Amino acid sequence: MTALAGAVGQPLAQLEGDEKVAGRALYIADLHRAGVLHGALVQSPHAHARIRGYDVAAARALPGVRAVVTGADLDPKHRMGAFVKDEPAFAQGKVRYVGEIVAAVAADTEVIARAAARLVRVDYEVLPSVVDPAAALEPGAPLIHDNAASYIKVFDAGTQGNVCSRTEFRTGDADAAWSQCDVVVENTYTTQAQAHLSLEPCGALAEIDAAGRVTLWSANQSVFRVQASVCESLGLPMTKLRCLTPRVGAGFGNKMEAHVQPAVVLLAMKTGRSVKLILSREEDFETVRARHPFRIRVKTGATADGTLVAREIELLLDGGAYGDDSPGVLGYALLMQCGPYRIPHVLAHGRVAYTNKLRFGAFRGFGVPQVTFATESQLDEIAARVGIDPIALRRKNMLVPGDPWFGGQAIRSNGLAECVDTVERESGWKERPKAMRRGRGVALSAHISGLLASGAIVRMLEDGSILLNTGAVDIGQGSNTVLTQICAESLKVPVDQVAIASPDTDGSPYNWGTTASRVTYVAGRSVVGAAAEVEKMLKEHAGEMLECSVDDLELLPGGRVAIKGVEERAVTFAQISGRAHWAAGGPIIGTHSWVFDQKTFDPKRAVALGLPFAAIGIFSFNAVVAEVEVDEVTGKVRVVGAWSACDIGRAINPLMASGQVEGAFVQGMGFALTEEMVWDGARLANPSLMDYKIPTFAELPETLRAYLIESDEPSGPFGAKSVGELGINGVAAAIANAVADATGLRFRDLPLTGERVLRGLIAQGSGAAA
Amino acid sequence: MTALAGMLWPRTVDEATAWLAEDPDARPLAGGATLVAMMNARVIDPHCLVNLSRIDELRSVRVDGDGRVRIGAFTRHRETSECLALTGTAAVVPRAAAQIANATVRNMGTIGGSISFADPGLDYPPAIVAAGAEIEIASSSGRRRIAAKDFFVDWYTTALAPGEIVTAVIVPRQPGGAAYEKHARVAGDYATAAAAVCIEASGRVHAVIGACGPTPISDADADALLSSDRSDAAVAKAGAMLEARADPLDDVRGSAEYRRLLIPRLLLRALRRAEADLRGAT
Amino acid sequence: MSALAAADERIALDINGESVAVHAVLSTTLLTALRDELHLTAAKRGCNQGVCGACTVSIDGEPMRACLSLAHGCTGREVRTLEGLAGDPRMQALQRAFADGGALQCGFCTPGMLVAAHALLGRDADPDDAAVRKALSGNLCRCTGYVKIIAAVRSAAQALGGAA
Repeated sequence: MTALAGAVGQPLAQLEGDEKVAGRALYIADLHRAGVLHGALVQSPHAHARIRGYDVAAARALPGVRAVVTGADLDPKHRMGAFVKDEPAFAQGKVRYVGEIVAAVAADTEVIARAAARLVRVDYEVLPSVVDPAAALEPGAPLIHDNAASYIKVFDAGTQGNVCSRTEFRTGDADAAWSQCDVVVENTYTTQAQAHLSLEPCGALAEIDAAGRVTLWSANQSVFRVQASVCESLGLPMTKLRCLTPRVGAGFGNKMEAHVQPAVVLLAMKTGRSVKLILSREEDFETVRARHPFRIRVKTGATADGTLVAREIELLLDGGAYGDDSPGVLGYALLMQCGPYRIPHVLAHGRVAYTNKLRFGAFRGFGVPQVTFATESQLDEIAARVGIDPIALRRKNMLVPGDPWFGGQAIRSNGLAECVDTVERESGWKERPKAMRRGRGVALSAHISGLLASGAIVRMLEDGSILLNTGAVDIGQGSNTVLTQICAESLKVPVDQVAIASPDTDGSPYNWGTTASRVTYVAGRSVVGAAAEVEKMLKEHAGEMLECSVDDLELLPGGRVAIKGVEERAVTFAQISGRAHWAAGGPIIGTHSWVFDQKTFDPKRAVALGLPFAAIGIFSFNAVVAEVEVDEVTGKVRVVGAWSACDIGRAINPLMASGQVEGAFVQGMGFALTEEMVWDGARLANPSLMDYKIPTFAELPETLRAYLIESDEPSGPFGAKSVGELGINGVAAAIANAVADATGLRFRDLPLTGERVLRGLIAQGSGAAA
Repeated sequence: MTALAGMLWPRTVDEATAWLAEDPDARPLAGGATLVAMMNARVIDPHCLVNLSRIDELRSVRVDGDGRVRIGAFTRHRETSECLALTGTAAVVPRAAAQIANATVRNMGTIGGSISFADPGLDYPPAIVAAGAEIEIASSSGRRRIAAKDFFVDWYTTALAPGEIVTAVIVPRQPGGAAYEKHARVAGDYATAAAAVCIEASGRVHAVIGACGPTPISDADADALLSSDRSDAAVAKAGAMLEARADPLDDVRGSAEYRRLLIPRLLLRALRRAEADLRGAT
Repeated sequence: MSALAAADERIALDINGESVAVHAVLSTTLLTALRDELHLTAAKRGCNQGVCGACTVSIDGEPMRACLSLAHGCTGREVRTLEGLAGDPRMQALQRAFADGGALQCGFCTPGMLVAAHALLGRDADPDDAAVRKALSGNLCRCTGYVKIIAAVRSAAQALGGAA
């Protein structure tokens, strides 16, 4: 029997594809409202200063200006923050980084608003600032949050001084285990700040009705996080704010927590009118968030045959001025730093330091790309020391089905071996490149799908078609399409019989967000659950209509319920829905709501201090091989080949899934080679696409192949695990390992710029003659 | 002097220069790639723009009676990069043009506009200096020509006086080979450092380094050395001479020290490529 | 400030084959005029500096940056946006290939990408991978990793008859 159109496993085009290729997709900047006011920001010129007062008279006096809001409009007790509630709607009392939003203006036109913003005067008392995280933790360093102890924390963060959070995990006894090791390698690695560079800058549009209720559109990854952040930071009851989403021009973590939404809502409330504010590219670079710079000190010990025995790792994260997702990134990086290997004795600990720079937050991989760069580089050094091929060393130690993750969480599907076999074979690993200055490197990694809550509502419309509502924001990755496929398959209807609603805090079930690679898995499970309820109700109706027991019924493809084996004795969804609407039972609504609940740590196996998430997710696995060519004249590294295999349980939509792997590789390549936010003192020196460079078509390797491995996760919807972030985690490590293979040089600081590599080649005595 | 307003469309160079003389705050507008970006960033806010795009004389590329190629100032990078008349040593110019930004921006930017901005990271300056080009300049008092190497005076500063515009870049064609070697972080970026090398059939070499100082760097002694000796050792010496004249910046594209390291390396690579071109092997 | 004080000037522009009157001061870019006044929002503002390519439109048949084109400077020129190219068979083949081939995710870069690809296929009916990369290297994409975009452009070229 042919599969239904759009069934699970089919490479269905994204549902919004036609609209987007026609140029008719409406993103936040494309939304218009008659009479809308335009917002503009005032940004702090100082890295750290007390705000003594504001003079907005000149700004207000400009014709066309309708409102100016400042920290004076904010109540200091209202703060938001995913883990540590340390952040006001915008700067209040103090500014903590250059570029921070200090005030906002609403005016008839953008030009007037920006002109008025330039007329706002703020009286600052400049304070000493600190931009280096290690310096921030020295005694006597300027205190960035004067009252950190008073902030609400959602977990035992250990916040004090300039320490935003601290976390420690232990298994076994690492201190004692070093003596069992024949080889011990210890190094320090650093990684840089990476900008998300979603092509769409952040923006918001707030409308207010006669009762003062605000409807807020914004570029976001979670309408519910927007609602919570705005309400918390403005002291609004959540019933006063409805959050919606237009099409989103990518997120990668940048749009998960608040950006300009609180300021825009406040302007709408103050003017009583709709207000729209879209950030320029420079403002987006300067004010929003970026990937955490990491300093990683890591020590790994193994026996002479390459068996890993012990690991100690210490992380120092630059958290920037506000906590944002930092405690989560720290905790997650510590959880994942073992990689997909058995290491019996581990001490993993770290801290997030506040600094006077923009907040660092969620960015695809959530700490794992940084920590994996260090640990997978180190594994290659161990391999070299014990004389074992890098892939062979990994095979020897990798988690096999049945092994739990570090900390004891059971893993129920593990396709890592097939991932490794695939990339080894496809890259031609065993036939090493003979060309000069070419090398190959491998990295293994994992990522979770999970975290927090999702729900789904599946409703049958009067005509028997289906309306699905999950509240999950599609940021372009294709979640609308995937969830629709899951729903359609669950009810055995073609995908065009299912419509998916746009996320709306009024009408959608809670979905924590599009982050943590969670939508296919967590929301997908809810869709399956809600569809199962609908199936149950359909059968109850059909049983009455066909006068049989529900146990004798089955769903047939195309929207029918029939007596098993007697296809002619069937009723259609339309008939059932008609009955439900008009005669008996009421309209059919199936729901499902849950919080991810598999515990991360087994207290019998591990000790955790400052664990930010008790139940994080289930594991997907990746193996990636990169081949590079190093230009010995300039030091420039070019990736010429990449093979990335991801165990994603089941590919609900292979087209979307491979797109995630390919996109993640290229973004990871930027992280590895060319992208770096650079500070000149406390000021971001390169907030512009002229100066901050992401990979273009020209940098794409000649060969980039994504492989989808299916290990069939029992807890996943149709066996699926998610794939959004997995593909980025190992990329920098694989490239660094390839560079080491090509040159014999080990680089421990990202990005691997031509300059760094050339200096290394010259020091080695092998740089091309000058 | 009267103040003009809005966008003006001169049909001839004389009209353009007359207007620019009339209002010293009026700006000439070529392709717009640079000027409009500066307006968008609010670096400048001109009240009057003299749009050069309808002046036929500026849009043509032709071979002069003496065999030199006259590239009108309004010639877009794309046309320059595809210009078949720029052969021999002159080929360094289209090779540089082909590496400017990307295909779409090459549809917009012009050689005159580009060199008038004199951003040291641009690709044209070292190439046109290596090619021995002349710049033709017009003002309300007439025309003049100066050597390309005298046109670039300092960071973002040219020899253009107020009211003057570039009307043409005149490139001699010698039989020979040429290469433009650009090192940048990614395709389309400004150069971190660049080397433009022309080798005439006679063996005379012109080597110019770009993006390593306020203006393109050349050295008569280095050229003289390379014109008689192109061994690796000679190239190293010539590279050291050029490096001694360099005054590179530390910026996000690279540190000053890295640029210094690159100078002799890129020079060698460019020279070898120019040799291959000379032999017809490219 | 000239932008505030300048008289409201109306100019006539040829947008998608129609003569439209647009209010523009000297500093108004074509991108602003298209998006804010004409509500032709396919061209996007990703950087306003000409680097990202999301604003790419066709002017006199060539792909150019709308953010670096002044509205006043576009008088007498033919401006074609994605909206205006929608009926063209070459564009339709590209749109189909992009949508079916997963050559877009968030879609923000897509209009500019399609305009650039459309221009490429107009010049070169059967481009190889290298030609596609070169023609599109001024269009940034952060989502797809470019692989499926190259495949889609080539597949559209095939569908249109390629070298035949």
